[in-house]
This record gives sequence, structure tokens and C-alpha cells, in this order.
Amino acid sequence: MEKRGSHPWRRGGGWRGRGGRTEAKEWRHEQNEEKQSRPNESVPRGTCMSMCPAREVREREAQRRLHRFEILAGTEGDRLPRADLSRTVKEYSRPAAGKDSTRPADLRPPPVLFKTVCFLINDIAASPTLQPWTEVYDFVFDRLRCIRQDMIIQRVSGSECVAVLERTVRFLLYASYHLCEEPLRLYDPRINETHLQESLSWLLDCYSSGGEHRNQEEFQALSLLYNLGSARALQCALDLPERMRASPAVSLALAVNRAHLERNPVRVIRLARRLDFLQSCALHRHLVACRRDLLLLYSHGHSSRNCRFPLQHLVRLMALEEDPVTKLCQAHGVAVNGEWVIFSKASYSEPPPGELQSTRSPELVDMKRGEATVSQVINGCA
Amino acid sequence: MAHITINQYLQQVLEAIETRDGSFCAELLSFKHPHVANPRLQLSSPEEKCQQVLEPPYDEMVAAHLRCTYAVSNHDFVEAYRCQTVVAFQAHKEENWALPVMFAVALDLRIFANNAEQQLQKGKGKLGDMLEKAAEQLMSCFRVCASDNRAGIDDSKKWGMLFLINQLFKIYFKINKLHLCKPLIRAIDSSNLKDDYSMAQRVTYKYYVGRKAMFDSDFKPAEEYLSFAFHHCHRSCQRNKRLVLIYLLPVKMLLGHMPTHQLLRKYDLLQFADVTKAVSEGNLLLLNEALAKHETFFIRCGIFLILEKLKIITYRNLFKKVYHLLKTHQLPLDAFLVSLKMMQVEEVDIDEVQCILANLIYMGHIKGYISHQHQKLVVSKQNPFPPLSSVS
Repeated sequence: MEKRGSHPWRRGGGWRGRGGRTEAKEWRHEQNEEKQSRPNESVPRGTCMSMCPAREVREREAQRRLHRFEILAGTEGDRLPRADLSRTVKEYSRPAAGKDSTRPADLRPPPVLFKTVCFLINDIAASPTLQPWTEVYDFVFDRLRCIRQDMIIQRVSGSECVAVLERTVRFLLYASYHLCEEPLRLYDPRINETHLQESLSWLLDCYSSGGEHRNQEEFQALSLLYNLGSARALQCALDLPERMRASPAVSLALAVNRAHLERNPVRVIRLARRLDFLQSCALHRHLVACRRDLLLLYSHGHSSRNCRFPLQHLVRLMALEEDPVTKLCQAHGVAVNGEWVIFSKASYSEPPPGELQSTRSPELVDMKRGEATVSQVINGCA
Repeated sequence: MAHITINQYLQQVLEAIETRDGSFCAELLSFKHPHVANPRLQLSSPEEKCQQVLEPPYDEMVAAHLRCTYAVSNHDFVEAYRCQTVVAFQAHKEENWALPVMFAVALDLRIFANNAEQQLQKGKGKLGDMLEKAAEQLMSCFRVCASDNRAGIDDSKKWGMLFLINQLFKIYFKINKLHLCKPLIRAIDSSNLKDDYSMAQRVTYKYYVGRKAMFDSDFKPAEEYLSFAFHHCHRSCQRNKRLVLIYLLPVKMLLGHMPTHQLLRKYDLLQFADVTKAVSEGNLLLLNEALAKHETFFIRCGIFLILEKLKIITYRNLFKKVYHLLKTHQLPLDAFLVSLKMMQVEEVDIDEVQCILANLIYMGHIKGYISHQHQKLVVSKQNPFPPLSSVS
């Protein structure tokens, strides 16, 4: 039986998002602790004015646990490398019994948190020199997670919270596409999704508790695209005010969902051409299933011995290059004979799960990016 | 009864407990009973009086109940809810004669949680906090009932399970946490009492299980559960029958059964009239208009998305008309494109026509195949559009 406790540090109770459960447990643990130590709970207010509390800097310097992005230039070779205070950021650490995560000196107030996010995006994620990007991703991912933790403990809400979450969501969305071809040991799409969903639903909660938020339409649309076909996301969107639903971004995202609901992959892909870069990143993870649907339907619909279907036409419908289309057909038991595809419902087969790795989509995603830099994409000015 | 003194009231409670009269005792603790309006019982601190007459835990329970009537008379539902949780905490401690008491108390608990929530937010803030806590309380009652393993089934508190589950369903549907229903459904599925609970409880149960199945797109079981609820719902409960129909109608339509106009009129559900007409005629234009016109109603009921799925059947009916008009088994794809454009489907082209047709063929709504080279749909000479009820 699932237990839903109310959350000590954030108004609104139960944890949001599907993936939050583990963390919710950890925090609930501390809830009990706090109840014992402080009967009339008060919200901790951070006093740490730098990106990393001084105590942690000393600790990690002494334990040689600085990330290489954080080390002061020139001290890399030293026995104990020094921290570059302008580049060292508080790392995520799991709450544990007996550990006090509420010390004001270890918590950063909202303006510092926002400054930290900007540093992570502009100086780390967007840096042309820091390589490989999977390592950049790990670093930023971890530090952003810690920022959310600081926000939860201090119960940050409203526009300060929104500004951080919006950039977090954009970063995770961008990464989900940018790293989709990486092997599992370098990038785990599941974990990324968990954090993305959690941040996204937290963000949408912030929106729904009132106030003017000028990017709300953008993120409502991203949520609909990232959660294509999810009845829950759709129902939430239907509950939005008419004005919001009629905005270009949301109405396009709804149209994509409607096409998906009718199982019309041709229309889904056609509408996908109109999405902007980040929206395309959000939809991208569904394109594999969408193309599979297309092959499944056409294998049944065009199943006749005398019929053949021009490969070039299928290439256009799928918005892929000829090569991947041929591979995709073969993986699904669809015969390709020179310029022609032969559909047959008898020979259609599902590839074993996990066989089809997500691949980049130059036509439907990369092209949209144009000249936009990583920081423009994540800061929302692409 | 309405104006008895506190002493008379406590004597009645005592008698009900001593004679193990569950239903009388339930009345004395229920907000459906007129005694709650009696100002002589609405006390802010009745503890002492209760202790003089009643043994623990009943003294505490009744005292909390009376404090609750006091809070309700002051329209303070947050306080009422708080008192009611104390009542509920004690409600499952007796043997199973007291189940009616638990039912009454649990029902009021949910209602107060609901009211408290509305009072707290007043148009702002998050829904569900109070209700979630109430659900936790009900859950602990449920655990007690479900784990009662005494030998004689007549004495078992397992008889309380379905009532509590129904209350929990009401909360979970309200706060949109349908996934929490699953373990409860499993508990009933594996129970050997499932067909022996009272019909009223079974009807409520099937109503919610049917709605759940519908949201999971399991339409066949949804039809079965909701039909059960509709047919067994007491004829005097027109309002409940109407509620069942709101969900049963879309499911039936998806499976190819269209409701009659009389039925819709009888239950004041004419919002569905144009939808029905549009689907049977294959009139996509009318369907879109009907959905737009009653959008608020459909969204509020949570059936808008299900109704959107009727589009597929509407395509089928429209294309069947094209087939009847052309009277041939080799139908040019252009003809379908023209029909869709007549229905003002936006930016549709021949590729989408092929895709829609392929989907209908895949689902079994059309028997035939598409020839891309000849740009034709070739349909079977026998029964090219099988009856909807035979498909899916």
C-alpha cells in the first residue's frame, strides 16, 4: 500500500512526479527527525552567499574530492589541489539519518541559487572547451539537483522557484536529445527522465498556484510533447484556461497529441516539422514508436501481393534518411527491394525490445536549432 | 429526539452499545441523523459528561463527535474534520457489530475533509491535502478490516472492506490519484465475499472500477462494469443512474452501440445527442462542433478525450458512405480526400488519407487493402465494413 505523507518543507503535501519517490522517502525520514528536534518547525533560511558553502570547500579540498572543473588553474598537479571559488559548486548529497541539512550556513538563498544556475549553464554547459559533454552533463545534473534540494529545504516558491526550474527543465530536455546516442554507462535516459518529470511537474504546480509567468505556455507545450499520449498530461492541459490552450505553442502541442490519439503517425510527423528546437527535443523520444506505428499500420493497410510502395515516399513520410529507413524496415520484417518497399501483414514483426536504439533526427530536430548556442537554448532566448 | 438533553442522549448511546445495536449506534454518531442539529448537544467540551456515562474508548469517541457537531454548527469544517478524525480513529476497534458505526463515521470523515478543503483554499492553493489525510485514516480502517481473519465469516470485519474501498475511490478520483485504486481492486478481486456485499455497495464499486477501466482504455471490461452499475442501480436513484450513463454512453458508442434519443432525454443528457448523431452519420464536422459546444461539460466529467476517440468510428462511417455512393470495390483515394475536405478537416492530403485508411484496416473496421500505385482502396466483396459491434 502506498503511503503518502505530507511534505515538511513544501506547501502542498505529497511529492510530485513519478520519480520522486526515492527522494521523497529520504526527506520523509528527515521530517520525523525534525519533528523530534524542533516541535514548532520553522523554515530554514540560507545565509551562504557563494555557490558552495565554505565548509564544503574545505572538506572537499582536504579529501581531494574537487571535480576537475572546480580546481584552481595551476594547482592540478599539487598533492592537494585548491578550489577555484568562482567555479566550485555545492554538490548533491543524499539526506541521511543524523545529518542536518538545514544549517543556514550551508544553504544558499534564492538569489544565490539563481546565480548558480546561470553559472552552470553559461560557464559549464555552454563552454566550448570543457569536454566530453557527458562529463559536463554529469556535473551540471548533480549541481542542479542540489539546487532543487536547497529550494525544497527553504520552501522556495513563486517566481524565484520558476526561474530555476525553467532552466533545469530546458537543460534536461536538451540533454535528453543531445545524449540519446550515448551508451548507457555514460548517459541513463531513465534517470534523466525521472528528474525531468519531477522538475516539470513541480514547475507546473508553481504555475497553477497563481501569478503571472510569461513562459508558462512554452512549458505547458513542452509537457504535452514530452508526455505524448499521456491521458494525465492531456487532462491537465484541458483544465487550462481557454486563452492558454489557444496559444500557438499549446494548440500545436495539443494537435500533435490529437493526431497521436487518432493513431495518425503521418500527421504526427508532419506536425513535428513545425515544432521549434526544444519542442522537437521533447517530442524526439516518441518518434521511434511513431515510426514503428507507421510501419505497423502500413503493413496491414498495404498488405497485398501485387502492391509495392516507393521507398523514397516512405523516406519523406518518416522524415529520415534513406539508410535508417531501410534499417528500420528490416528490423520490423518489412522487405525493401531496391526502390520499393513491400508491405505484408504476415511478415511484420516487432524487433526485440532494446534493439532499436534512439538515434538523432537531423531533419526533425537538429535542423531546427539553427545558429542557437547551448546557453541561448537553455536560457530560453533561442 | 431532536431536543433531548445530553444525559438522555448519552443514555441512548450507552444502551446501543450494551445491546450491540450497530445501526442504532451508527445513527447516534451520524450527521445524517437529526440529533446533530440539537443545540443542547453541540458542546465545545463535553468530555467530562461523556466520561461519567461511557467506558473508554466510547467516551472519547462520543465526546469528539459532540465537539464535531459544535464545530459544524459554527461552520468550521477544518475543526470538524479534526474532531472527526478522533472519532474515526476509534471506530474500528469493536467487533463487527459496530461496522455500521464505522461506515457512518467514515462517510462523515470524507465529507468533512471535502468541506474543510473548500474552506481552506477558497479558490486558491492546492487540492487534496485534507482529502489525502482522510484517505490515510480510511486506509488504516481498511487494513484492520482486511486483516480480520477470525473463523466465522459472519463475525468478520471483512464485511467492512467494500464500503471503505468505495469511500477511498471517491477520494482518489477527486484528487486524481487513480493509480492508488489498483491494490484495492486486487483486494476485492481475491475476496470470496465479493458477490455477497450489499447491492448498493456493489453498484458503487462497479461504477468506479468501470470508470477506472475506461481511463485505462480497457473498454470491454468498462462496459461490463458500468452496465452492471446501471442495471442494478436502484430505480429511485435517477441521479446516480445519470452519473453512470455519463461514462457508459461513450464506452458503448466506442463499441458501436448508439443511445436512443429517448434515453438521452429521460436522463437529461442531451449534450450527447449531437455527438451520437455525428458519429452515426459519419459527420466529422458536426462531431467537432458538438465537442466544442459542450466542451466544458465533457471536460468536467473527464470524458472529452474518450469522446475524441469516436473520431475513428466517424471516419469509418463517413468512408462507408463514400463506398455506398460509388458502388464499386475499387475506390479512388481522391474520393476519400474530397469527403474529408467536405468535413473541413484541416490541411489533409492523400498521405493522411492513406494513413487513416491503414489504421481502419488494421483495426478491422475495413476489409481490404490500399494500392499506392493505383491510388485506390480495394475493398472486400463481402462485408467490407463489418458491423462495429463485431470489431474490437
